[in-house]
Amino acid sequence: MLRVLALASVVLLGIAPQASQAITVYTSWERHALVGSDIRLSCTFFSWRSISEDVSFTWRYRPDGSKDSISIAHFAGGEAYTDNKGVFKDRVEFVGNPKRRDGSILIKNLDFSDNGTFTCDAKNPPDIVGRPSSVRLLVFENLPIQAGVITGAIIGVVLGLLVLIVVIYYLMRFLVARRVFSLSVRSVPRLWGLSLGQRIKAAAVK
Amino acid sequence: MLIILAFIILFHLASAILLFVATIHNAWWVVSHTGHEVIYADLWYSCNSTCYPVVNIYLQAVQAAIILATILCCVSFFVFMLQLFSIKQGERFIFTAIIQLLASLCVMTSASIYTAQHENFHAASLKSGSYGSSYIVAWVSFPMTLISGLMYLVLRKRK
Repeated sequence: MLRVLALASVVLLGIAPQASQAITVYTSWERHALVGSDIRLSCTFFSWRSISEDVSFTWRYRPDGSKDSISIAHFAGGEAYTDNKGVFKDRVEFVGNPKRRDGSILIKNLDFSDNGTFTCDAKNPPDIVGRPSSVRLLVFENLPIQAGVITGAIIGVVLGLLVLIVVIYYLMRFLVARRVFSLSVRSVPRLWGLSLGQRIKAAAVK
Repeated sequence: MLIILAFIILFHLASAILLFVATIHNAWWVVSHTGHEVIYADLWYSCNSTCYPVVNIYLQAVQAAIILATILCCVSFFVFMLQLFSIKQGERFIFTAIIQLLASLCVMTSASIYTAQHENFHAASLKSGSYGSSYIVAWVSFPMTLISGLMYLVLRKRK
């Protein structure tokens, strides 16, 4: 029993420091946008440590079908740096608030060539071990209706209406039954009141 | 009278099964070019070299209507079982009949919308095809649910 306890504590002590030093980065899974519009790609992270002065965010872009990724935005040492040479020149803006763990960027005037995967990597020294997270961007001419949205809406509305009709029907039946019951209860106290008055008169005469 | 009861239950179950087949089997439209494989399309996804889910508005309405018909058919079966033991002698199975007739209406709506709009559902490569087995099954289940609903309207409970 003591041996098991000792072994468990050693294992936990071995795992715990590593768990408390891993940083987890969160982005969306997939984003849809219209040609010519702007889109805000969000990136947040969770870290066991408090936000340090050297917190850094790096955004990379990998076009669909390519294997290389280029860096398009970087925040470090309190300064934001964005793409000033490549495809995203003057189109990327760092709009996050690093003190609140937000490293989002805004991409303006989207085009079909912007289809691809955007990867966000956040570091919060000394918490630097973590996997970056990716969001896939799809640019459309007209936003398609997602498969199944209208189906679900029609089914939900019709079933809801049917359930409502059944509930109202049974409620009406119940209420009608109650009205009959309450009418008969109201007529009884009058009889009681009469007999009480007669009794008081009788007592006063005496 | 047990024979009548068994017949009605089997008829209802048969129409429910047909509705399930029409809903689930993805074969409302069949394209069979000579030399190529047979392509089944419609109601849930259509395949050329890759399979894409369906996004047309009218086709989604067809999906919704046939799913509703299946749900209502199953619900009416449960309500029938309930009413079998709860209503008094000599009464009709009105609630069951209403739900079954609604299911029949939904199947008819679904098959009608599909027939009217099927030209807009397919890309050019799939246009030269014909109606598939699920479409026929859906149309067959319409008179079956209708007759089933009318039977419940006429039937009276006897012990």
